[in-house]
Amino acid sequence: MPTANTEEENSKSELQKNHGGGGGFTRWAVVAVIFRLALIYFPGNLNLSSRPEVSTPLTSIRRLAEGYWLKQSSMSPYAGSMYHGSPLLLSVLGPLTVKRIEGQPSHILCSLVFVLADLISSILIRATGRKLQIAYRKSLKSLNLLNKSTDSGALSSGDIAALVYLWNPFTIVACVGLSTSPVENLFTILTLYGAATGLAPLAAFGWVMATHLSLYPAILIIPVNLSYSGSWFYPPAPLSPEYTYAPPSKLFRSKEHGKVGDGKSSQEIIFSWRRVFHLLVWTSLWSVYVLVLCSISVKQHGSLQEMFQRTYGFILTVEDLSPNIGVLWYFFAEVFDFFRDFFLIVFHSNILFMILPLAIRLKHRPCFLAFVYIAISSMLKSYPSVGDSALYLGLLGLFLDELADMQFSFFLFCGYVGVSLLSPVMHNLWIWRGTGNANFYYATAMAYACFQIVLVVESVSSMLNHDRKLTKLSTSKLQK
Amino acid sequence: MAKVEKKEVAAATPPWKPKPRPIVRLGIVLISHSLLVSVVCCTAGIVALFLLPMLAKNTYISENALMPGSASSMLSNHDISEAERLAKDLTSLNSGAADAGIERRRVLAKYLSDLGVEVGYHKFQSHQNQFHPLHFFSSPDSGLSRENGSCSSYGINVVGIIRAPQADGKEAIVLVTPFNFRKNSSSEALSISIGYAVFSLLSRVSWLAKDIIWLVADSQYGEYASVASWLRDYHIPVFSASSSHNADSCFEGNNINLSREESPGRTEISSGFRRAGTMAAALVLKVTDVKGQLEDTLSVYAEASNGQMPNLDLINVVNYLAVHRQGLRVKVEKFLSVLTWEWIWVLGDTLNFIGKVAGSLNPEWKFGISTPDYVEGTATLASSLYRQALGIPTGPHGAFRDFQVDAITLEISPKVVYTNQGRRNEFILRSARLIEGVVRSVNNLLEKFHQSFFLYLLTSPAKFVSVGVYMIGFALLVAPLPLVAASLYVDANKPEPSSQDPKQKLQINFKPWKWLSAAKQVFTVHAWGVFVSLLPYFISQIPNSTPAAHSIIWFSLSTFGLLVLYLITKSPSKPQKGKWENLKSLTISAVFIGLLLMSVVNFATAQIGALVLVPACLLAQPLKLDIRTASLKTFLRIATNVFISFVAFPPAGFFILKGVNEGFGNMDVGEFWTWLESLWAWNSATYIYIGMVHLPCWVLCLQILLHSC
Repeated sequence: MPTANTEEENSKSELQKNHGGGGGFTRWAVVAVIFRLALIYFPGNLNLSSRPEVSTPLTSIRRLAEGYWLKQSSMSPYAGSMYHGSPLLLSVLGPLTVKRIEGQPSHILCSLVFVLADLISSILIRATGRKLQIAYRKSLKSLNLLNKSTDSGALSSGDIAALVYLWNPFTIVACVGLSTSPVENLFTILTLYGAATGLAPLAAFGWVMATHLSLYPAILIIPVNLSYSGSWFYPPAPLSPEYTYAPPSKLFRSKEHGKVGDGKSSQEIIFSWRRVFHLLVWTSLWSVYVLVLCSISVKQHGSLQEMFQRTYGFILTVEDLSPNIGVLWYFFAEVFDFFRDFFLIVFHSNILFMILPLAIRLKHRPCFLAFVYIAISSMLKSYPSVGDSALYLGLLGLFLDELADMQFSFFLFCGYVGVSLLSPVMHNLWIWRGTGNANFYYATAMAYACFQIVLVVESVSSMLNHDRKLTKLSTSKLQK
Repeated sequence: MAKVEKKEVAAATPPWKPKPRPIVRLGIVLISHSLLVSVVCCTAGIVALFLLPMLAKNTYISENALMPGSASSMLSNHDISEAERLAKDLTSLNSGAADAGIERRRVLAKYLSDLGVEVGYHKFQSHQNQFHPLHFFSSPDSGLSRENGSCSSYGINVVGIIRAPQADGKEAIVLVTPFNFRKNSSSEALSISIGYAVFSLLSRVSWLAKDIIWLVADSQYGEYASVASWLRDYHIPVFSASSSHNADSCFEGNNINLSREESPGRTEISSGFRRAGTMAAALVLKVTDVKGQLEDTLSVYAEASNGQMPNLDLINVVNYLAVHRQGLRVKVEKFLSVLTWEWIWVLGDTLNFIGKVAGSLNPEWKFGISTPDYVEGTATLASSLYRQALGIPTGPHGAFRDFQVDAITLEISPKVVYTNQGRRNEFILRSARLIEGVVRSVNNLLEKFHQSFFLYLLTSPAKFVSVGVYMIGFALLVAPLPLVAASLYVDANKPEPSSQDPKQKLQINFKPWKWLSAAKQVFTVHAWGVFVSLLPYFISQIPNSTPAAHSIIWFSLSTFGLLVLYLITKSPSKPQKGKWENLKSLTISAVFIGLLLMSVVNFATAQIGALVLVPACLLAQPLKLDIRTASLKTFLRIATNVFISFVAFPPAGFFILKGVNEGFGNMDVGEFWTWLESLWAWNSATYIYIGMVHLPCWVLCLQILLHSC
């Protein structure tokens, strides 16, 4: 093992720098923030905030500024079809869009908010990663699977995940390109953090806010419940040696018969309905609170019903067909109008269909389940942007230890790089040079969706393989 | 690619795994025979490139609405005599006088307003081309600096607009005639004559459905600059008064306030900017004197920035009318030096022979081509590829393409310099009828040009290779890259024998993805590439230095940057198994992605780049390994590797090409800088390709060669 260990150290020397406490992480986080500030200060001529990859009708800051202007001139911010975001976001970010500081680029205050949101997100990811890793190590130790040398030399996956999130070009582009997705991501991550640390009010608040801002995080209620009401990780211990393919739930039950488990961990298995109720109470409290705030905000010029129509309704009916990196716009631009409702239902239920099977299969790993949900919804949502990919790619880093054997990692890496470079070129070819057409651009969107699918499928299967391997190892240990 | 590899491994070890699917098995076969596949594919790709002149198709007019040549010409001798009168008036002005330019402009404006058309002056300042490395990804207007230049560098275009009598003024056709108002040139006067003859006819006809704009572009600061600035002002209205105010103040200083000038003709001359509708097409008309021609010829220039071409239909219409109606000889540019290459002739003979044999076997197979045709086609194709690859527009028409307007430059050269007025009139008549015919065809268009190809290479004025054909050769050339990358990746990441150790198996080991370190290396080198390509921006700010000094500073700074990066990222440990394979695999992936991107942006650059980079990457192997097993094969490989990596170094390649073409006698270090400067001044994507794809990949290949394994 020592050789493997040195190998690891060499090959990940850039990650090694964060190893050994918070110093490395802090340094790199500060550099990331400075890098963002530099990009904001020298905006160049990239015009990121008008790129379709970065700003969607839901997240564009220009639309938000327009909505704020409408509100200031005593009209409903949802008048016309400009703004489709939350009224709360309008109240918070709106005043910042009109403030100008002499000699500074416009929207600098908003940019600073987004940079701050990114920073907080990364810190939360890091804390979540710590929690996860401690649980993981503990369970490995309880199975006597943990190697001493590995333990000392291993990298903290939380640090890596946080840095991946901070340094991901997608995150940087979304932050510098003034889309509101950093804020949305922040609340999603806050939800996961609350769930991981067992803070029901925090988790409920994050979930309510994330759902309010972008609707799709609503499905995260399942992993949040699972993680808050169950325990984070169940070390599998088999009943019999030939036991290899049993679903994890059997493993938990069998654990009480196993010799390795201590009394404390066996108590954690029980799914506590009392805690579910606890969480739901908090959720409803926060929902009421947010709704009241919203109704105060929109009272003068509109109603809550209008708000729902213009935000959730806009998301669900895919009204805006301007090109983005998703797969829906092209489809709904082509489909006949009388099929439209049918296909709307088909596409949206696509996400819903996957919820239950995944929840059953992965219920012993709620955080990973949340990652899978986020990845799926960012692939199938009506107005995706690179900010959504940034979120799940950051979370992917949390499971680095478990996904070490993941297939196709190289292939996926090359694919993501290739597609994210090809997509702007195709867009340019279509819009500015006129030699390409929409099919060129849509082809990259489809390729991107394929890579996301491969990523989800492979990560799930390698996670399950990892669990199987743990089962097998603990079996053989028991046999000895 | 990794998918296949994993399936392979999986199929070997666990007994319960099902047999892989056929497509996966096909992939496994391809990857395991990647050497053979890559040799076959690369050879086929290069052969396909040389077959292109044979595969070229005859052009045809794809858009039915064009109907070229279906109407008889209405141009009369009266128009021509009027035009000649204008030309005489223009040339008779004393060229030495300081205000000759103003006087000529006034004469022209008078003639135009006598026709009853709208006349306007357009003032502009010539801007120095600036470095916009990211210009390609942004809209045409962004990144433009409207900074105030000095008053000395302004020019004035004269614009005449005929409003179509039957139309709503939503569309327009543009005629451009570059003319230097300060100089007396007989050929430019001839082009003005032709332009005026057509314009005066068009001001009378009733069939116009699109407005006609005649832009007499002031060419004293170059033909391109005046047309480009007019187009910019046409498409991007300026709401702040600062820019025009500045120009006005210049004019006032020179006592030629145009706006208060008394109107000499029937209509008012306004100094305000006049517009017509969106442009359907644009024709740039030039007359040049070329000695020693057998007949009147028409040269067509079509390449705009970044290898963009106008719609093929526009060239087709011009070619059809010139050849079949006006009896002009149509030429496109070709490399004359190719005609002298012996081996091209031999190749042509061989292909001719093969075609004949095939034809005798089956009369249906008609792919034979006569040897002179093949050589001519190759020379034209080479020139077409080269011009597109450079990404520098070949004339003022390039400015139109940036606004998605199809435009070409027609350069007409008479057989001799006409002294006889009758012969001269006949020449003007033929040229003007050609323009009239083209305008009439374009006038028929219902939508903008879309029917025919935008992506093509010309092998003669009437023959082209479309994107579907030339892409095959390119695809064959780059197809081995992912295969070899996959097979190297498989080799490098085979499960180590130590992991079979039962004791090890019992542990959970947190091994990271092995290829990450190689990815880091590749990323660092590419970041260095970005740094190198941005350096000229700062170096060019240094005042009072020669191109040679620039290039030396650039070279030394780049090398220094590379050294610093190498020292920072150098891993202290000893090299390990599979490291160079991983590096090579990632390098090849980077090359593949880069070439793919470039083939979309500018195909010609990607094709030429692939000819160099693909063999360089595929053959790269640590020299140490080859030296260790000294055999003829490895010796050959070492020699090829060293040769290719020398040639692939951009400056070396540049000077070798230059030496082959012009002789090695007078080489100047600064020439490379000048060449690159021209690339970035024209916002050519080729510059970005060289800096961010080619150079980093060359460095990575060197790293593989010098790898200590």
